[in-house]
Amino acid sequence: MRTLVVILRRLIWVVPTLLGLLAIVFTVSHIIPADPAATLAGENATKAQIEAIRKQYGFDQPLPVQFLRYVQKVATGDLGISLYTQRPISEDLITRVPATLELAVVTILVAAGLGVPLGVIAAVRRNSLLDHALRIFTVSGLAIASFWLAILFQLLFAMKLGLTPLQGRVSGWGPSHVTGFFLIDAVINGDWRVLGNVAAHLVLPVLTLSFPAMATIVRFTRAGVLDAINSNYVLYEQAMGLPRRVIIWKYVLRNALIGTVTQIGLIFGILLAGAVVVESVFDWPGLGLYAVNAILRSDYNAIMGFTLITGAVFILVNLIVDIVHGLIDPRGGG
Amino acid sequence: MAHLSRLVASALMGLAIATWIAAPPVLAQTRFVFANASPYDTLDPHKILDVGRVASRINLYDGLLRWLDNPAKLEPWLAESYTVSEDGKTYTFKLRKGAKFHDGSEIKASDVVYSMERILAQKGQSYPLFADLVTPGSTKALDDYTVQFNLTKASAIFLAVVPEVHVLNAALVKKNEKDGDWGAAWLSKNEAGSGSYMLDRYDPAIGFTAKRFKDHWNKQWGTKPIDEIEFRTVIELNSRVLGLLKGDFHGTDGYLPQDQIKRLREAPNIYVAEAESMRIFYAIIHSGREPMNDINFRKALSYAFDYDGFNKNILSDSVARNPVPLPNNIWGAPKGVKGYTYDLDKAKEYLAKMKAPPREITIGALAGYQQTEQAAALLQASLAKIGVKSKILAEPWSVVSAKMRNEQQMPDLLFLWKSTYYADPNNWVGEMYACDQIGQRNNSWYCNKEVDKLLVEALQTTDQAKRAANYEKAATMVMEDAGGIFIYNTKWFGPFNKKVTGIRFCPIGDGQEMRWASMEK
Amino acid sequence: MQTAFYLFRRLASDRTALFGACLVLLLILTAILAPWLATHPNDVAEFHPAERLKPPSAAHFFGTDRMGSDVYSRLLFGARITITIAVIAVGTAVLIGVPIGLVAGYYRNWVGDLLMRISDIFLAVPQIVLAIAIAQSLGPSIENVILALSLTYWPFWARLVYAETTRAMNETYVEAAIALGVPAPRIMLLHILPNISSSIIVRTTIGMGGTILTAAALGFLGLGPPPPTPEWGRTIAESREFLPDAWWYATAPGVAIFLVVMGFNLLGDGLRDILDPRTRRERE
Repeated sequence: MRTLVVILRRLIWVVPTLLGLLAIVFTVSHIIPADPAATLAGENATKAQIEAIRKQYGFDQPLPVQFLRYVQKVATGDLGISLYTQRPISEDLITRVPATLELAVVTILVAAGLGVPLGVIAAVRRNSLLDHALRIFTVSGLAIASFWLAILFQLLFAMKLGLTPLQGRVSGWGPSHVTGFFLIDAVINGDWRVLGNVAAHLVLPVLTLSFPAMATIVRFTRAGVLDAINSNYVLYEQAMGLPRRVIIWKYVLRNALIGTVTQIGLIFGILLAGAVVVESVFDWPGLGLYAVNAILRSDYNAIMGFTLITGAVFILVNLIVDIVHGLIDPRGGG
Repeated sequence: MAHLSRLVASALMGLAIATWIAAPPVLAQTRFVFANASPYDTLDPHKILDVGRVASRINLYDGLLRWLDNPAKLEPWLAESYTVSEDGKTYTFKLRKGAKFHDGSEIKASDVVYSMERILAQKGQSYPLFADLVTPGSTKALDDYTVQFNLTKASAIFLAVVPEVHVLNAALVKKNEKDGDWGAAWLSKNEAGSGSYMLDRYDPAIGFTAKRFKDHWNKQWGTKPIDEIEFRTVIELNSRVLGLLKGDFHGTDGYLPQDQIKRLREAPNIYVAEAESMRIFYAIIHSGREPMNDINFRKALSYAFDYDGFNKNILSDSVARNPVPLPNNIWGAPKGVKGYTYDLDKAKEYLAKMKAPPREITIGALAGYQQTEQAAALLQASLAKIGVKSKILAEPWSVVSAKMRNEQQMPDLLFLWKSTYYADPNNWVGEMYACDQIGQRNNSWYCNKEVDKLLVEALQTTDQAKRAANYEKAATMVMEDAGGIFIYNTKWFGPFNKKVTGIRFCPIGDGQEMRWASMEK
Repeated sequence: MQTAFYLFRRLASDRTALFGACLVLLLILTAILAPWLATHPNDVAEFHPAERLKPPSAAHFFGTDRMGSDVYSRLLFGARITITIAVIAVGTAVLIGVPIGLVAGYYRNWVGDLLMRISDIFLAVPQIVLAIAIAQSLGPSIENVILALSLTYWPFWARLVYAETTRAMNETYVEAAIALGVPAPRIMLLHILPNISSSIIVRTTIGMGGTILTAAALGFLGLGPPPPTPEWGRTIAESREFLPDAWWYATAPGVAIFLVVMGFNLLGDGLRDILDPRTRRERE
């Protein structure tokens, strides 16, 4: 019951938080000295033409009025038209979200798939050579600039060795659209060549993003496992004579996984932040690159739309993680 | 005995099947893939004017006239002939008969009228070219194959900009109109043209593909015409180069850095075609503001730029020094002009002639365009040597292009290019320095009465010899007046896969008009 | 003074933390001594186009860049920018966020709640996205980068200190102080703050590393100090066009960023082990 109340309280605050976020971004993006009407009109336009466009798009209204009109439209589901592409932003976002999600999901699978076992081993074989090597790895993983790592990987694997493609999500046209997730779509269409192509394009971005993600996961898994190993419960089981192997895989791992799930929110944040620059380097057609381009082009509506979606997703993910943590953590709601 | 024969039969069959599976499919079609540096975010030909997105306009659509070859020549295209009235205000075009749109319907004068009206109504990037000359409703279809333009005033450049009236299939566009939008929403993702190629697939994040339009009225193609063309967005420079080397792409833009051109030249499957284009690199000087309104300061600036260091070293001698505000290779460009050199002593002389030492100035550059940033840094370093302080402001094009038209926000200096929208000297010196263009295409706030007189005169007559004389004089005067720092004219270095031949380069089409090219299978 | 000495001794005995401290010290020294350590100190503002893109040699330890400047010397001067941005941005964020968190956690009234809600708003999107938007609006300069970073970082501190403060409010020493009638500011500054200071110190150190990475990302996207400033992120962006041949151009600044951030991370880890009793167990 208590958790339900907490969840409800959190949900109530989602809308005001998003409104506040929109207000901040609106204010920030309108300090820009750039004149969106002039940009739209093109470099050869006359003053009269620019004025006409300003009226047409409502840029001549006072800022609070513009903001209110925007919020009204959002409430009806209309995120507006991108100043740059002249297409509805909701359309643009719908095509970009799967690209980033696919990247994020594969990264988490790789990072967790490798990170959790490594974390467990590191904890079990404390202070061994492996543990120290992993310690160096985790510290490095969080110290490397991801855009630099991306460039290094490109330099080594794509340019010098020619093993992977340099950038992009797929060479040319991807699989016929079903879900927007290329891996899934390629399988659904039975297009194995495209599947291989898509997978090859995922290698470098996933490698780059999973570095910090894996570093975090290894750290927290190791800490969680150590906690569990040193706990009284395990001590009891050991005293009871249960084989070490069983103890580890049955009880310790569960604790480790709990720790990882809790950290999914944190990792998600790292991934999204990392995605912004990594997508720029790899020209990955996802939300991060969309955000960067929108901001650099002073595309107000796109910036607001992106912030709205990202904020909403972020808040929701954190909420879900908190709920799940509350459910599976035997120590009671965090 | 039967066993053996059955064994042999199945073995042979198996071999046959295996060969069939293993054999590569016979390519009946040639496919040309071009890696483009900017995205094709819309296919609407009336909304876009830039070279970055020219491939869709020039391959999917036709105009009354077309610019071809280098030096660019205006050739009849959809129009077989035209006449101009005595007062220069009425242009009558006779369309060729039997020319078809992609959907099979015939191109009529009413389609041309619709297209012109649409440009005026939609106010896209090509609108400013016609805004002063054509009023809505003034264009008439005299009959099915005769179109008449009734201009507001005589203009020497009307013919030069007519190719930008891309003729749309009016019936098709009207069918897809929504809420009186002139079909804008539909046309951004589809096409209603008559051009050499028909749109097949389009995705703004990827690019477009098009198939050859065999029923095109112009039966002149390359000897081995290309069946399918694809123009793909590949923003990352190294990706374009690598893709070319690997054979994934067959061509890319002609403005790669020289280091990459060298790499491509060394590849066995690539050749690099060269042509002198018409795209000058210069620095706008805000002559309307202190201290740049003092000619001594402007001259000092002109002597302070290391032209050779930039052209020969940083750009590896891949460009031609261009000391006047007109590309050297266009008619009307003054010949044998030496222009300014890198001479810090002379610069200091002119500085000394100023009433007071200049304040710290702001040098603008385009963020992400390395050449502008390098030029700005180079100038800053030289200015520091003669005691002039400066700071650099590198901002994205969206920000800069808006600031350029505001007298207060325009930086003191700004490095950028001026490309060819139409091959007429007015495209450069005319727009850049005419008094009535201030705040629009004259971003220097430069107004010199004598220069302006020459420019206005040149627009009013169609006598090319007289116009050339005016432009030569005007360009020389602007140079002597140090109206800007004029640095180089671009050379186009087009890398192509050796399978592709017959590329016909024109500064406006940028070598992306694929109907003339041939491709081996 | 005694605690400082004790701290120092503990730190010295932890090898990785010591290594981290050395790296940080190296950064500070490099920034201060750049003009003397550089082989071509003028190359920050002077260019030699004829020498461009030369590989590493005795004359140029890390080769030359696109304008012919010595990469090594520019790298050293870049350290100054890195430190300046990191110290001021983190310092400002701490100076704003900590008091807000303290006050909000102590009084727990609607003002505090509102401030925490505002913090939540800022924390709803990754810091870098908001920082990019702010830096882009204000224009590319070092001051605007610092402003963007501090504006997006203070909410983290407010939230952190708020949580610590509310926890401290349940402790007996605070309840006792309130009962004794000690004025609120005294309680906050002299009772609560010292007890949460270890957490603040540790996270400040680690926060320096994160801020340096975000600042480098902003420079990489072109939102940092303008050319020809030798900022590390910007240098990496400039180098891309010349790969794979001029590999030194991209490698050097990236390694610098890596060493500096790792230094702060290791130092922060070490400090956490010493100062935070809860994690001490893991090390024993």
